[in-house]
This record gives sequence, structure tokens and C-alpha cells, in this order.
Amino acid sequence: MSIIHSLTEKEKAFIKSYFAKYYKENSSQIVPPKGMEEREFGFSLFKEAVMVRHIGFRRVEELRSFLVNKVPKDVYYSCAYYERPTEEMENKGWLGADLIFDIDADHISTPCKKMHDLWICKECGQMGRGVEPNACPVCGSTKLNSSSWPCEICLEAAKREMIKLVDFMMDDFGFSPDELRIYFSGHRGYHLHVESEVIKEIGQNERKEIVDYLQAVGIDLKYHPFSQRGSLDEKGWGGRIARAIYEFMLRPNLAQDLARLGLNKKAIANITENRDKIIENWKEHGPWNIIRGVGFSTWEKIAYFSLKNQAANIDSVVTTDIHRLIRMGGTLHGKTGFKKVEVPLMSIESFNPFNDAVAFKEDYITIYVLESPKFVLKDESYGPYKDCKVEVPVAVAILLLSKGLARLED
Amino acid sequence: MKYPFSKEATEYVKALGFSIQDLEKEEFKPILDRAEERVKEALLGKREVRRPLREEIEILSFPVSIIMTSAMNNQVVKRRFADFEAKRITEWLKEENCENLIKVAKSFNWRIRALRGENFALHFVDYLKNAVNFNEAKWKLVNRVLSNGEVRLSKNDVARLLEEEVRKYIENKLNVKLDIELPETLNERVEKLTQIASKEVKRFKLEETPKELNQEAFPPCIKNLYQSVTKGLRVSHIGRFTLTSFLLNIGLKPEEVIKLFTSSSDFNERITRYQVEHIAGARGSKTRYTSPKCSTLQTHRLCVNKDELCNKVRHPITYYRIKYRMLRKGKSEK
Repeated sequence: MSIIHSLTEKEKAFIKSYFAKYYKENSSQIVPPKGMEEREFGFSLFKEAVMVRHIGFRRVEELRSFLVNKVPKDVYYSCAYYERPTEEMENKGWLGADLIFDIDADHISTPCKKMHDLWICKECGQMGRGVEPNACPVCGSTKLNSSSWPCEICLEAAKREMIKLVDFMMDDFGFSPDELRIYFSGHRGYHLHVESEVIKEIGQNERKEIVDYLQAVGIDLKYHPFSQRGSLDEKGWGGRIARAIYEFMLRPNLAQDLARLGLNKKAIANITENRDKIIENWKEHGPWNIIRGVGFSTWEKIAYFSLKNQAANIDSVVTTDIHRLIRMGGTLHGKTGFKKVEVPLMSIESFNPFNDAVAFKEDYITIYVLESPKFVLKDESYGPYKDCKVEVPVAVAILLLSKGLARLED
Repeated sequence: MKYPFSKEATEYVKALGFSIQDLEKEEFKPILDRAEERVKEALLGKREVRRPLREEIEILSFPVSIIMTSAMNNQVVKRRFADFEAKRITEWLKEENCENLIKVAKSFNWRIRALRGENFALHFVDYLKNAVNFNEAKWKLVNRVLSNGEVRLSKNDVARLLEEEVRKYIENKLNVKLDIELPETLNERVEKLTQIASKEVKRFKLEETPKELNQEAFPPCIKNLYQSVTKGLRVSHIGRFTLTSFLLNIGLKPEEVIKLFTSSSDFNERITRYQVEHIAGARGSKTRYTSPKCSTLQTHRLCVNKDELCNKVRHPITYYRIKYRMLRKGKSEK
């Protein structure tokens, strides 16, 4: 039987010993966030389940020795800058905040989740695959345990969203590459930190407008006169709307997709028969009024449906929270043992977390794997495993243990 | 120099170097008269028709009218005054040529430049700081052309955004604490204006929130959250915050909200109590949280099953009040 395993004290101590080793060897290379003295730090520890908050550091050495001595499970700092970062929330004196984006594979639907994500009901023991339900379908309990896997396909989907987001930030919002820092989160996604004086002091409402822009919330086509120009390289959302329709026209099952939009048979036939002509016309002025029986309202329907693909799928809560604690670059993720690492803008395409975020080397150890999907780490292939004993590198062991998919062998 | 917030105007006033006590002198009477008139105009909502005044009087009466208004110490009056003075300035702004408009915008440190054909490009931060206070869809950033950090705007758009900037500027000035003794002549005038205000400015009649809870009147977003919680389904943090603050805002007691959460699922009572009491303002910062407005719920994808009434309101609480009254009316008619 496969269950999601909760870590024993011994297993926690094992993981902690490797975290300790990592911080001892690497703390001198950990770069603190800009304006460290004005940031609040927070930590979760291996021992207690509570978060230690309102910590401040004046010098980088203090921070580094904290990491080496306390060996936290997770390390966070505030996106905000404060006058008094160690005081209670209402006395901190907010000075500004970086603009932060979180792209999490959990929020992107990928077909592989059915395969690698697991949940189990703590009440009745029912197990299932895929995204964890709101409540157990058998007994109705909401006490569920789950394990989501940082799978390659999901992370690739998150990376696509990040590339879209970076385009927005540079083309639309005008940020330069050196103001943008992309990170692999250490688990199931990517973060983008925008550290710029320009946006430091903007409040929640302004950040909400930025989120709405990225997600096309409240978009109204009447303010985007795409029917008059319709050029694919129009600036801002105008061009995105045109590209959304253009890409829609390239869909393999165009007729079916148009039917789903509620178009009538005649309109569908008119569009599918003239598909080439429509695509061709985009080189000039867009396909408006070139096909009989397909009016502006039809194009509008297609636009509203397809523009979602042009939006960047970000976590709206993270970006609008001007006090948010975020994981610090160079530190380890308590759910995987991976590092949160910076991904250079130029090499984002080739970045592979299962290579570039691995923190532990050498040492092999034997573990008992309850269940694990197949994966490649540092060019070696592992799994799929099911109820078996295997000898694996420490990085693999810590990943599977932290995910509750394995036990340490005695 | 006609703009009272311009660098020239503020420097001019400063250079004169008079103190507040000087205002008692006879020679300042026309300035005091005009300042009093400005506040009165704002209170009555109409402008005196008269020949144009000397620019000097206009400039000097502005700071004096600010002092008078803030001495009245009434938020409604302050807002009215700021709105009124800002509108006055918009009319001037609309008449300005592009070059002057840019000059005014730059006095507020806007990053703005002229494009061809009376169009402008404004940095998105300067745009957002003002446009977020407008509700119409056309002011949403997503409905603008944004390229390389700049928003494309027409001349009228720039004038409207500047009006908002001026309004905020005046409001800030009005909220600076006065810790000076006002001379007698000024106090008398303030007294007179206060009397006009009490007649003219109807206080915001706080709409009564219904006393009994009527779940039928919940807006669709709240209904959805409420049902999820009572069914024991998982609700995101922001969803719980929305439901909790909404229920507290319409008059539920913290105890009742805690009961709702803890009885229907496995919410930990201690943590739930802490969170609910925090939102109710019984803990920590002591601020009582207002429930999120419609546009915030849209951003976080909590706005669901919109109905006709939704299109007419901007806040779930307003929806509740209106629907509550509609339902009660419907009942009594039967």
C-alpha cells in the first residue's frame, strides 16, 4: 500500500544534517537581498511547526551565522522595506516594497497532474491521484494529506508563463533586464523579483491594476480598436488580442472550438473554409469584413475566448500583498531540498531545476520508496519506484523523503 | 503663475515672508475676503460670477483658504473644498496648450512627454497613482495602450488625471495638522463658514445595515464562499478573509463567525478565533477590516455568477443592502 509518509524525528534529523552541511559550506556565497537592514526575516525550523518572524539583520555576517547555527528548514524575507523591521506589524513603518510575482505549477492545469500528484484522506484512508479535492469523496472529510510532484512538464508550463511575464515586464512596463531577477522557487514554480525605485512606493491598488493588466481582468475590447488596425505587432494588449485570434485560427480542431463558442453552423463553415485567406490577411490589415456572414461580434467572441492564452498566469495574492514574505535566493526549500536559484534571463530556456537547483553532492544512501514517478536528476534517471529499497544519491533521498514518498531505512 | 501649486506661486508667497498674525492687518482684508469666498463657493457648490480678480489676490488667498478649511476640521468639508478647487483648475488646464500642460504635470514630477497630434506618453506609475481612483472601465490599465513603460493619453485624459493629482495635493495640505493660534479675524470667519457648512453639507447619512441576517440577500460571490464553508469545502485564505470581513461588516458578532467556521469543518478553533478577532479589530492593529470591493474580488477570481444587480454596484455590502431592502419590500407587498 502506498501512503504519504510523515517524517519521523530521525528522518528530520537526517535532512537537517545535510541542510547544516550545505549552509556551512555555502553560506559565504549567499547574497542577502538589497536593503537587508530594512527587511523582515522569517524562518521555519525543523523542530517546531511555527514560523519565527520579525527577525532583522544589520550585517550580512549575522545572517550567515544564523543560517549556519540554526539551520532553518525555510528562509524568507519581506518584499517590503521597513523603518523598524523587527517590531510588530503595525509599528514597522512601511517604506516600500519590491514588485513580486509567483508562478506556481499548482495554478496551471497540466494533464500529468493525474499521474504524479497524490492525496490521502486522514480519516478513512481513501487515496486518489491528481489535484487534491476539496473534501474526501468517500467520507467527506477535509483532513487530507497531499503530495504534489515538481514534475518536468509542470515546471516547463510554469516556465512558459514566466517567459510571457518577462515579455510583459520589458515590452509593456519598460523594465530593463537588470531590474528583473528570475528565480526557480525550489519547488513547483518560478519567482520574478522587480527591484526598482520606480515601483517601490506604489501601493496595493496600483499593484492590483498591474495584476489585472497581466491577467486581462476587466479588459473591454471596445477600448482596443483592433478592427481598425488589427496588426499583429500592435503595442500592448491590442497586439495580443490580434495574436490571440491569429493563433486561434491555427488550431487543429478549429470547427469544434468555434462550435464551443456558440457560433452557428454557417459562420463556422465560413470561417473554416476561408481559414487560409484569414491568416493571409493578417499580413495586411486583419481579416475584418473580408468574409461574408462573419461580423465584428463574431470576432469579438473569438477574441474574448482566446485572449486568456496571452495572459500571464500569476498568483494575484502574492503580487498585491505589500508585506509578503518570500523565500530568499540561495537557500534551501524544506519540501524538496532544492535551492532557490537565480535563473539568468538569457538562459531561461535551457534552465533545468533538476540539474541547476540540486544542492547536495556525493554520498549515497539507501531508502525505502513507497512510490515515486520516474525522473531525471543530474543526468541520471530514477524510478518509477513502488515499495522497494533503493540506493540513491542524498539529493534524491531528501527529495523523496521531504515529499513523503519514502522512508529512511534502519 | 496662476496655478497656486506651481513653483513660482509657492516661491512668491514664501518671498513675501508674512506671518499668520499679519493677516489681521487691514491691507490683507481683500485676501481674507477672497479666501472666505473660496471656501463658501466650495460649500455652496457654485462660483461667484464676477470680474477676474488680481492674480496676486488669487494666489495669496489660496493658502489662506486652506488654513480656514482645515480649521473647520470636517472631512466632508475638506473633500468638497479639494474637489471644487481641483475642478477650477481643470478648466484652466483644458485651455492650455500641450507645452504648458506638460509644464504643470512636471511640477508634480510626472514623467511625461508629448507625442504627435496632441497626444501624450505618461509613465505608468504616474498614471496608476491617479487612475486607480477612477471607476470607469476606460481608466483600467488593461484598457490602455501601454508600451515601454508609458501609457498613451489624449489631452483630455491628461487634464483629468492632473485634476486628480491636484485634488490629492490639496487634500494633503488640508490634513497637515495646524498647531498655530489663529488670529481673531480668521477665527470669526471660520465660525461663519462652519455655520454655513452645517446647513449646506448634509453629513453622509450612514446607510443603516439591516439588523437581521438574510442569506437570501447575499451577493453571488459571498453565497458561493458561505456555501463552501458550510459544506466543509476548502476555501483559500483570501476567500476566508472576504467572507469573515463581510459577515462582520453586516453586523455578525465575532463569536457567530467563529461558530460558522469551526462547526462545519476542521478549522482549528484557536487559529480561527485569532483570525476572526484580528479582522474584527479586537487584536493587534485594532483596525477593523472592511470587506474587499468587487474589483478586488475580480482580481483574485472570487467574483462568480455575476447577476444583474452586480453590474450596478461596486461593493458586495452595497449589493447586500439593496437586495435586503428589495426582498423585504417584496414580502410586505404580498
